[in-house]
Amino acid sequence: MVTKVFLCAIFLVVEIYGVAKTEEDNCDLSGEWLESLKVTRDIWKMGFHRELVTTMECGRQSPEKLHALLVQNLPRGVFVDPYQLASLQQDTGLQALLHSKVDLEAPAYESNGLSMFVYPKRDPGRPGHLQAVVPIHGRYHRPSSGQGWERIEIEPPRLFLRANGCAQHLAVAPPVLMDAPCSGHNMSMCKWMEVQLPQDQRHISLELPVGDWSLAVPVCGGTLLVTLLCCVLIANAIQRHGFQ
Amino acid sequence: MDWMMATFFRKWSLFTFAFFVRVVLVVFGVYQDKTMIVKYTDIDYHVFTDASQFITEGASPYRRATYRYTPLLAWLLTPNVFLTPVFGKLLFVTCDVVSSYFMYNILRARGMSCQAACGYCSLWLLNPLSMGVSSRGNAESLLAVLVLSTLSCMERRHLAKAAFFYGLSVHMKIYPVTYALPLALSLRTRDKVSTGETKIPMGRRMARFLLGLLNRDLLQFFSIAGGVFCGLTLLFYHMYGWEFLQETYLYHLTRRDIRHNFSPYFYMLYLMAESSWSLALGLAAFLPQLALLLLASLAFHSDLAFCCFLHTAIFVSFNKVCTSQYFLWYLCLLPLVLPRLTLSLKQGLGLLVLWFAGQGIWLAPAYYLEFEGQNTFVLIWLAGLLFLAINTFILVQIISHYKQEDIRHIQKLD
Repeated sequence: MVTKVFLCAIFLVVEIYGVAKTEEDNCDLSGEWLESLKVTRDIWKMGFHRELVTTMECGRQSPEKLHALLVQNLPRGVFVDPYQLASLQQDTGLQALLHSKVDLEAPAYESNGLSMFVYPKRDPGRPGHLQAVVPIHGRYHRPSSGQGWERIEIEPPRLFLRANGCAQHLAVAPPVLMDAPCSGHNMSMCKWMEVQLPQDQRHISLELPVGDWSLAVPVCGGTLLVTLLCCVLIANAIQRHGFQ
Repeated sequence: MDWMMATFFRKWSLFTFAFFVRVVLVVFGVYQDKTMIVKYTDIDYHVFTDASQFITEGASPYRRATYRYTPLLAWLLTPNVFLTPVFGKLLFVTCDVVSSYFMYNILRARGMSCQAACGYCSLWLLNPLSMGVSSRGNAESLLAVLVLSTLSCMERRHLAKAAFFYGLSVHMKIYPVTYALPLALSLRTRDKVSTGETKIPMGRRMARFLLGLLNRDLLQFFSIAGGVFCGLTLLFYHMYGWEFLQETYLYHLTRRDIRHNFSPYFYMLYLMAESSWSLALGLAAFLPQLALLLLASLAFHSDLAFCCFLHTAIFVSFNKVCTSQYFLWYLCLLPLVLPRLTLSLKQGLGLLVLWFAGQGIWLAPAYYLEFEGQNTFVLIWLAGLLFLAINTFILVQIISHYKQEDIRHIQKLD
C-alpha cells in the first residue's frame, strides 16, 4: 500500500497558467482573503517523540469546500513512521502520504530526509481552522563534544489549496498548479494551486540530546573494566561450584 | 483415589485459571486498543500481522519493514488475516500455558509432588510479566515452548523428539544455538575408569574427551536438529532468497543498535559507532560472553535445565543489545532452577527486589532521555553497568546456592 502511495503521490504535472481569472469565479477566495490566511506551526511534546502541528486560520468566511494540502520536507534528523501514520489514519483520521521509503532505525548520519503530503482537517472546536498533527521521531545523531544537543530545523511547508465546485483558480497570478491525490484516502488526482505563505514563516526547530564524544575514553575504559570484573566474578563462582 | 482427583483437579484448575486470565487480558486488549490512546497490543504484533498479510497476498513477509523473524511465524499467523486478528495472541497465550505444562513434566520427572510442581509452575503461570507479554502479542512464548519441550524430551531421553524441537527453536530465534555445547556434552559417552585418572597426560585425556563426543546418540541428535534447521533454512531461502537470511539471521548476528537499551555496552558502542576501534571493541564485548558460555557448559552440562538457564542469563546480561523481552528467555527456565536452590525465601525475595530495582534505576534516565529530551546518556550508561553488576551478583548467588543432586519432594498423600 505504501508503495502505491509513493507512486501516486509523485508530482505528476506542474503546470503554470499565465492567465488569472476574475474574482467573481472564486467563491469568495479573494486576494484579500488570501492575505488574511494565517499559518502557524508548532512542535508539541519533548524528547525523541514529537508532534509537528500545522494550523491554518482561514477565517469564518472560508468555504466549506476548501481543502488544503501541505507539502512538508523533513530533514534527516527526524522521520515519520509510515505504519504509525496508517494506524493514526484509522484512529484520528490523520491524512498524510509519504513519498519515500523510511528507515525506522538508522541514525541521522546514515539517513536521508523525506517528503510528505499532509492534508489538514477541520478543527470541530474552532470554526475556520484547519489543523494537522503529525507524529515525528528523532533519530540518533553523531556524538559531539559540544553542548550535548543537536538542533534540527524543519523548513516551512508549501501550501496548496483547492475548492470543489469553484473555478479552478484563485486570485493569484500566475497560479502554480500541481496534480496530487485529492485526499489521504482518495488517490484520484486533483488540481491544487500553490499559495505563497507570508515571508515571515521561519524554520521551527527541535533539539535532541547527543552523546558526549569527549567521554569516549572513560566510557570505553569503564565499560570494559566493569564487564571484565563481572565476567571474572561469575567465572570464579562457576569454577568453585561447578564441575561436580 | 480421592487425593488423585484432588491433585488432578488442582493441576487442571491452575492451568485453566491461568489460561482464562490470559484470554481475559486478550479481550481487554481489544477493548483498550479501541477506546484508549495508549494501545495494549505490542508493536511487534502489528509487524507480524502485516507480514502475514503479505504472505496471504503471495508476497514476501520481509516487505514489512522491521520484520526480522522466520517466515514460519508469519505463516503461522495467517489466520490473523483470514480468521480473526486475535488469533496470534490466543496462540501465544496457549503456548505460554503449554510451556508451563512442560515445566510441570520436568519437575514431576525429577520426582517432585504434583502440588509442589504446580507451585513452581504457578511462578510462570501466574506471573504478570509472562501474562502481559504473551497477551500483548509478543511471540516469546513460542520459544519458551520449544526450549522447554526440548529439555522435557531430553530429561526423558526422547532424543529424536528433543532434537526436532531444538532444531526448530534455533530456527525460530538463534539464541538457543548456544545450548548446542551443553547438549553435546550431556550426550557424550562418559569415561568409565576413575582410578588413577590423574596420571593420564593432558593430550590423551583430550583425545578421550573428543572420542566421547562420537557416539550414536549425539550424532542422531545433531543430525535431526541440523536437518530440521537446515531444511527450514533451505526451504525459506528457496522461497524468499537472500533477504530471508539477512533479516532472520545475519541482522541479529551483526546487529549494532546504537539506541539506548539495557546492555552495558550501549553507550560505548554508540560513541564508537563510526570509529576505527568499533570492530575491536565489538570483539572485546563478545569475549566475556563467549568465555562464560564455554565455562558454564563445561561446568554444568550434567544438569541441562540449570546450564541452559545460566547460558541464557549470561548471554542476555552480556549481550550488545538487550531489551526487556529478552529477560523472558531465562525467566521461563527459572521454575526449573528454583527447587534446587538453597536460598531462603527472604534471600530469594531480596534478589528479586534487587533485580527489579536495577531495571527501575535504568528506566528513569531512559524515560527522561526518550520522552523529556534530557541528556541522560551518562546516567543510562551507569545504570546499565549497575544492572550488569546486579545480574552478576544474582548469578553468583544462584550458582553458589545451587545443589546439583536432586531434592526429592515425593510426599505420600494417602
